[in-house]
Amino acid sequence: MSKNSPEKADPSSEAKKTISLPISRVRLIMKSSPDVSSINQDALFLTTKATELFVQHLALSSFNNGCGKETNSLSYSDLAKTAEESETFHFLTDILPKKILARDYLKSLEQMQEEDADF
Amino acid sequence: MDGDSSTTDTSQLGITGEYMASGQYVLQPQDEDGEESMNDHEEGGAKENYREQDIYLPIANVARIMKNAVPQTGKIAKDAKECVQECVSEFISFITSEASERCHQEKRKTINGEDILFAMSTLGFDMYVDPLKLYLQKFREAMKGEKGIAGVPVGEGLTEELTDDFTNPLPAGIITADGQQQNVMVYTTSYQQVIPKTQQLDFSLTAF
Repeated sequence: MSKNSPEKADPSSEAKKTISLPISRVRLIMKSSPDVSSINQDALFLTTKATELFVQHLALSSFNNGCGKETNSLSYSDLAKTAEESETFHFLTDILPKKILARDYLKSLEQMQEEDADF
Repeated sequence: MDGDSSTTDTSQLGITGEYMASGQYVLQPQDEDGEESMNDHEEGGAKENYREQDIYLPIANVARIMKNAVPQTGKIAKDAKECVQECVSEFISFITSEASERCHQEKRKTINGEDILFAMSTLGFDMYVDPLKLYLQKFREAMKGEKGIAGVPVGEGLTEELTDDFTNPLPAGIITADGQQQNVMVYTTSYQQVIPKTQQLDFSLTAF
Protein backbone atom coordinates (compact mmCIF):
# COMPACT_ATOMS: atom_id res chain seq x y z
CA MET A 1 0.00 0.00 0.00
CA SER A 2 2.58 2.54 0.96
CA LYS A 3 5.58 3.09 -1.17
CA ASN A 4 8.76 3.07 0.76
CA SER A 5 10.77 4.96 -1.79
CA PRO A 6 9.93 6.45 -5.15
CA GLU A 7 10.56 4.04 -7.96
CA LYS A 8 13.51 5.81 -9.44
CA ALA A 9 15.55 2.85 -10.45
CA ASP A 10 14.22 -0.38 -11.82
CA PRO A 11 16.60 -2.81 -10.13
CA SER A 12 15.63 -1.67 -6.67
CA SER A 13 11.93 -1.98 -7.29
CA GLU A 14 12.54 -5.40 -8.78
CA ALA A 15 14.13 -6.41 -5.52
CA LYS A 16 11.32 -4.85 -3.55
CA LYS A 17 8.78 -6.86 -5.50
CA THR A 18 10.05 -9.99 -3.84
CA ILE A 19 8.59 -8.65 -0.60
CA SER A 20 4.88 -8.55 0.08
CA LEU A 21 4.96 -6.73 3.41
CA PRO A 22 5.46 -3.03 4.05
CA ILE A 23 9.06 -2.49 5.09
CA SER A 24 8.34 0.79 6.83
CA ARG A 25 5.84 -0.88 9.13
CA VAL A 26 8.31 -3.60 9.96
CA ARG A 27 10.81 -0.92 10.81
CA LEU A 28 8.30 0.75 13.10
CA ILE A 29 7.76 -2.46 15.01
CA MET A 30 11.48 -3.05 15.31
CA LYS A 31 12.02 0.47 16.61
CA SER A 32 9.44 -0.09 19.32
CA SER A 33 11.83 -2.52 20.98
CA PRO A 34 13.81 -0.93 23.78
CA ASP A 35 17.39 0.16 23.13
CA VAL A 36 17.18 -0.05 19.38
CA SER A 37 18.92 2.92 17.86
CA SER A 38 19.39 2.19 14.19
CA ILE A 39 18.80 -0.59 11.78
CA ASN A 40 20.67 -1.08 8.59
CA GLN A 41 19.15 -1.82 5.21
CA ASP A 42 20.12 -5.49 5.18
CA ALA A 43 18.73 -6.11 8.63
CA LEU A 44 15.45 -4.52 7.66
CA PHE A 45 15.17 -6.55 4.50
CA LEU A 46 16.05 -9.78 6.26
CA THR A 47 13.54 -9.20 9.02
CA THR A 48 10.78 -8.44 6.54
CA LYS A 49 11.55 -11.50 4.50
CA ALA A 50 11.84 -13.65 7.61
CA THR A 51 8.45 -12.45 8.71
CA GLU A 52 6.94 -13.71 5.48
CA LEU A 53 8.56 -17.08 6.03
CA PHE A 54 7.30 -17.07 9.57
CA VAL A 55 3.70 -16.46 8.54
CA GLN A 56 3.86 -19.27 6.01
CA HIS A 57 5.51 -21.56 8.50
CA LEU A 58 3.06 -20.85 11.30
CA ALA A 59 0.00 -21.06 9.09
CA LEU A 60 0.99 -24.33 7.49
CA SER A 61 2.18 -26.00 10.70
CA SER A 62 -0.97 -25.06 12.50
CA PHE A 63 -3.14 -26.19 9.64
CA ASN A 64 -1.49 -29.59 9.49
CA ASN A 65 -1.09 -30.01 13.20
CA GLY A 66 -4.54 -29.05 14.36
CA CYS A 67 -8.04 -30.09 13.44
CA GLY A 68 -7.52 -27.97 10.37
CA LYS A 69 -6.75 -30.93 8.22
CA GLU A 70 -10.09 -32.57 8.78
CA THR A 71 -12.20 -29.49 8.76
CA ASN A 72 -10.02 -27.95 6.04
CA SER A 73 -9.92 -24.68 7.87
CA LEU A 74 -7.46 -22.97 10.13
CA SER A 75 -8.82 -21.80 13.45
CA TYR A 76 -7.50 -19.95 16.47
CA SER A 77 -7.27 -23.16 18.48
CA ASP A 78 -5.03 -24.74 15.86
CA LEU A 79 -2.64 -21.88 16.37
CA ALA A 80 -2.79 -22.08 20.14
CA LYS A 81 -2.20 -25.80 20.01
CA THR A 82 0.80 -25.41 17.75
CA ALA A 83 2.30 -22.74 19.99
CA GLU A 84 2.07 -25.04 22.95
CA GLU A 85 3.36 -28.16 21.28
CA SER A 86 6.09 -26.78 19.07
CA GLU A 87 9.45 -25.76 20.40
CA THR A 88 9.88 -23.16 17.71
CA PHE A 89 6.58 -21.43 18.32
CA HIS A 90 6.64 -21.72 22.05
CA PHE A 91 7.40 -18.03 22.51
CA LEU A 92 3.86 -17.35 21.35
CA THR A 93 2.13 -19.09 24.22
CA ASP A 94 1.73 -15.90 26.19
CA ILE A 95 -0.24 -14.20 23.50
CA LEU A 96 -2.11 -17.30 22.43
CA PRO A 97 -3.91 -18.52 25.49
CA LYS A 98 -5.93 -21.62 24.82
CA LYS A 99 -9.60 -21.01 24.71
CA ILE A 100 -11.99 -23.36 26.39
CA LEU A 101 -15.72 -23.37 26.47
CA ALA A 102 -17.23 -21.72 29.47
CA ARG A 103 -19.10 -24.85 30.36
CA ASP A 104 -15.91 -26.91 30.43
CA TYR A 105 -14.23 -24.38 32.64
CA LEU A 106 -17.08 -24.35 35.05
CA LYS A 107 -17.08 -28.12 35.17
CA SER A 108 -13.43 -28.23 36.11
CA LEU A 109 -14.00 -25.43 38.59
CA GLU A 110 -16.71 -27.51 40.20
CA GLN A 111 -14.40 -30.45 40.43
CA MET A 112 -11.77 -28.33 42.09
CA GLN A 113 -14.30 -27.05 44.57
CA GLU A 114 -15.42 -30.54 45.35
CA GLU A 115 -11.87 -31.59 45.94
CA ASP A 116 -11.36 -28.67 48.27
CA ALA A 117 -14.49 -29.56 50.16
CA ASP A 118 -13.33 -33.10 50.65
CA PHE A 119 -10.00 -32.33 52.29
CA MET B 1 -20.60 -15.57 40.18
CA ASP B 2 -23.27 -17.45 42.06
CA GLY B 3 -22.12 -20.67 43.57
CA ASP B 4 -25.02 -22.63 42.24
CA SER B 5 -23.15 -25.76 41.38
CA SER B 6 -26.13 -27.66 40.10
CA THR B 7 -26.00 -26.04 36.74
CA THR B 8 -23.24 -25.41 34.29
CA ASP B 9 -25.43 -23.61 31.86
CA THR B 10 -23.70 -20.35 31.20
CA SER B 11 -26.79 -18.56 30.03
CA GLN B 12 -28.41 -19.16 33.41
CA LEU B 13 -25.40 -18.07 35.32
CA GLY B 14 -24.90 -15.10 33.12
CA ILE B 15 -21.25 -15.77 32.55
CA THR B 16 -19.48 -13.75 29.97
CA GLY B 17 -16.09 -14.59 28.53
CA GLU B 18 -13.45 -13.35 30.86
CA TYR B 19 -9.85 -13.94 31.35
CA MET B 20 -9.30 -16.11 34.39
CA ALA B 21 -6.16 -15.24 36.22
CA SER B 22 -5.70 -18.67 37.73
CA GLY B 23 -5.06 -20.54 34.53
CA GLN B 24 -4.04 -19.77 31.04
CA TYR B 25 -7.56 -19.93 29.76
CA VAL B 26 -9.81 -17.58 27.93
CA LEU B 27 -13.48 -18.32 28.08
CA GLN B 28 -15.16 -18.72 24.78
CA PRO B 29 -18.83 -18.19 24.08
CA GLN B 30 -20.77 -21.41 24.20
CA ASP B 31 -21.60 -21.61 20.56
CA GLU B 32 -17.94 -21.60 19.67
CA ASP B 33 -18.41 -18.87 17.20
CA GLY B 34 -15.02 -17.37 16.98
CA GLU B 35 -16.20 -14.32 15.11
CA GLU B 36 -18.56 -12.72 17.57
CA SER B 37 -17.97 -12.97 21.22
CA MET B 38 -20.02 -11.64 24.05
CA ASN B 39 -17.29 -9.56 25.49
CA ASP B 40 -14.38 -7.75 24.01
CA HIS B 41 -12.83 -10.27 21.75
CA GLU B 42 -9.76 -8.18 21.31
CA GLU B 43 -6.84 -7.70 23.55
CA GLY B 44 -8.47 -5.53 26.20
CA GLY B 45 -10.64 -8.28 27.56
CA ALA B 46 -8.29 -11.15 27.15
CA LYS B 47 -5.04 -9.84 28.47
CA GLU B 48 -4.15 -8.43 31.82
CA ASN B 49 -1.10 -6.51 30.74
CA TYR B 50 -0.99 -3.66 28.27
CA ARG B 51 1.31 -4.69 25.51
CA GLU B 52 3.58 -2.20 23.90
CA GLN B 53 3.53 -3.87 20.54
CA ASP B 54 0.11 -2.91 19.36
CA ILE B 55 1.61 -1.98 16.04
CA TYR B 56 0.72 -4.61 13.50
CA LEU B 57 1.33 -5.37 9.88
CA PRO B 58 -1.73 -4.87 7.69
CA ILE B 59 -4.07 -7.80 8.03
CA ALA B 60 -4.67 -8.02 4.29
CA ASN B 61 -1.01 -8.72 3.62
CA VAL B 62 -0.79 -11.23 6.44
CA ALA B 63 -3.96 -12.98 5.34
CA ARG B 64 -2.73 -13.22 1.79
CA ILE B 65 0.50 -14.91 2.81
CA MET B 66 -1.43 -17.34 5.00
CA LYS B 67 -3.82 -18.15 2.22
CA ASN B 68 -0.98 -18.95 -0.14
CA ALA B 69 0.66 -21.18 2.45
CA VAL B 70 -2.24 -23.49 3.21
CA PRO B 71 -3.73 -25.88 0.65
CA GLN B 72 -5.76 -24.23 -2.07
CA THR B 73 -9.18 -25.15 -0.78
CA GLY B 74 -8.41 -24.43 2.86
CA LYS B 75 -10.19 -21.72 4.79
CA ILE B 76 -8.90 -19.45 7.49
CA ALA B 77 -11.00 -18.21 10.38
CA LYS B 78 -11.12 -14.50 10.98
CA ASP B 79 -9.78 -14.77 14.48
CA ALA B 80 -6.93 -16.88 13.19
CA LYS B 81 -5.89 -14.08 10.85
CA GLU B 82 -6.01 -11.50 13.60
CA CYS B 83 -4.11 -13.82 15.84
CA VAL B 84 -1.31 -14.37 13.33
CA GLN B 85 -1.13 -10.62 12.87
CA GLU B 86 -0.30 -10.31 16.55
CA CYS B 87 2.09 -13.24 16.44
CA VAL B 88 3.96 -11.51 13.66
CA SER B 89 4.58 -8.40 15.72
CA GLU B 90 5.68 -10.64 18.54
CA PHE B 91 8.07 -12.45 16.23
CA ILE B 92 9.60 -9.23 14.94
CA SER B 93 10.12 -7.93 18.45
CA PHE B 94 11.51 -11.25 19.54
CA ILE B 95 14.15 -11.27 16.81
CA THR B 96 14.91 -7.60 17.16
CA SER B 97 15.58 -7.65 20.86
CA GLU B 98 17.89 -10.62 20.52
CA ALA B 99 19.75 -8.95 17.66
CA SER B 100 19.89 -5.69 19.56
CA GLU B 101 21.41 -7.39 22.55
CA ARG B 102 24.16 -8.91 20.51
CA CYS B 103 24.76 -5.58 18.87
CA HIS B 104 25.21 -3.90 22.22
CA GLN B 105 27.50 -6.62 23.44
CA GLU B 106 29.77 -5.88 20.54
CA LYS B 107 29.56 -2.17 21.25
CA ARG B 108 27.88 -1.36 17.99
CA LYS B 109 24.95 0.96 17.49
CA THR B 110 23.46 -0.25 14.25
CA ILE B 111 21.79 -3.62 13.91
CA ASN B 112 23.07 -5.26 10.78
CA GLY B 113 22.14 -8.31 8.74
CA GLU B 114 24.48 -10.60 10.62
CA ASP B 115 22.84 -9.73 13.92
CA ILE B 116 19.46 -10.66 12.55
CA LEU B 117 20.64 -13.95 11.13
CA PHE B 118 22.42 -14.80 14.32
CA ALA B 119 19.33 -14.00 16.36
CA MET B 120 17.25 -16.31 14.20
CA SER B 121 19.69 -19.10 14.62
CA THR B 122 19.75 -18.64 18.36
CA LEU B 123 16.00 -18.50 18.71
CA GLY B 124 15.28 -21.69 16.83
CA PHE B 125 14.61 -20.29 13.39
CA ASP B 126 17.78 -21.44 11.76
CA MET B 127 15.78 -23.13 9.04
CA TYR B 128 15.16 -19.62 7.71
CA VAL B 129 18.80 -18.61 7.62
CA ASP B 130 19.84 -20.24 4.36
CA PRO B 131 16.86 -19.12 2.28
CA LEU B 132 17.28 -15.65 3.73
CA LYS B 133 20.91 -15.49 2.72
CA LEU B 134 19.89 -16.27 -0.83
CA TYR B 135 17.22 -13.58 -0.82
CA LEU B 136 19.69 -11.11 0.58
CA GLN B 137 22.16 -11.94 -2.14
CA LYS B 138 19.54 -11.33 -4.82
CA PHE B 139 18.58 -8.09 -3.15
CA ARG B 140 22.16 -6.91 -3.01
CA GLU B 141 22.77 -7.78 -6.62
CA ALA B 142 19.79 -5.79 -7.62
CA MET B 143 21.11 -2.88 -5.60
CA LYS B 144 24.59 -3.24 -6.99
CA GLY B 145 23.21 -2.91 -10.44
CA GLU B 146 22.37 0.64 -9.62
CA LYS B 147 25.84 1.49 -8.50
CA GLY B 148 27.54 0.41 -11.69
CA ILE B 149 30.64 -1.70 -11.89
CA ALA B 150 32.61 0.39 -9.47
CA GLY B 151 31.79 -2.26 -6.95
CA VAL B 152 30.65 -0.05 -4.12
CA PRO B 153 29.77 -2.32 -1.20
CA VAL B 154 26.06 -2.38 -0.64
CA GLY B 155 24.54 -2.28 2.76
CA GLU B 156 27.03 -0.09 4.45
CA GLY B 157 25.63 3.23 5.48
CA LEU B 158 22.65 2.96 3.17
CA THR B 159 19.60 4.68 4.44
CA GLU B 160 16.13 3.69 3.48
CA GLU B 161 16.03 6.10 0.63
CA LEU B 162 17.94 4.49 -2.14
CA THR B 163 19.74 7.09 -4.16
CA ASP B 164 20.81 6.63 -7.67
CA ASP B 165 24.33 7.66 -7.82
CA PHE B 166 25.27 6.63 -11.23
CA THR B 167 28.83 7.27 -12.19
CA ASN B 168 28.90 7.71 -15.87
CA PRO B 169 32.54 8.04 -16.77
CA LEU B 170 34.43 4.82 -17.00
CA PRO B 171 36.33 4.12 -13.79
CA ALA B 172 40.01 4.10 -14.59
CA GLY B 173 40.78 1.01 -12.63
CA ILE B 174 39.07 -1.36 -14.98
CA ILE B 175 41.37 -0.93 -17.92
CA THR B 176 44.89 -1.82 -16.93
CA ALA B 177 48.01 -0.02 -18.05
CA ASP B 178 48.83 -2.39 -20.86
CA GLY B 179 45.45 -1.73 -22.42
CA GLN B 180 44.06 -5.18 -21.85
CA GLN B 181 40.61 -5.54 -20.53
CA GLN B 182 40.03 -7.47 -17.36
CA ASN B 183 37.25 -9.99 -17.31
CA VAL B 184 34.66 -7.35 -16.91
CA MET B 185 31.62 -7.22 -19.10
CA VAL B 186 31.63 -3.93 -20.82
CA TYR B 187 29.12 -3.18 -23.44
CA THR B 188 30.40 -0.70 -25.93
CA THR B 189 29.03 0.87 -28.98
CA SER B 190 32.09 0.03 -30.96
CA TYR B 191 33.63 -3.17 -29.85
CA GLN B 192 37.38 -3.57 -30.21
CA GLN B 193 39.59 -6.46 -29.29
CA VAL B 194 42.70 -4.56 -28.46
CA ILE B 195 42.71 -1.13 -27.09
CA PRO B 196 45.63 0.89 -28.30
CA LYS B 197 46.81 3.34 -25.73
CA THR B 198 46.83 6.27 -28.03
CA GLN B 199 43.30 5.94 -29.37
CA GLN B 200 40.46 7.93 -27.92
CA LEU B 201 37.75 5.59 -26.91
CA ASP B 202 34.13 6.14 -26.59
CA PHE B 203 32.71 3.83 -24.05
CA SER B 204 29.19 3.70 -22.90
CA LEU B 205 28.73 1.57 -19.87
CA THR B 206 25.58 -0.31 -19.31
CA ALA B 207 24.98 -1.67 -15.86
CA PHE B 208 23.90 -5.28 -15.90
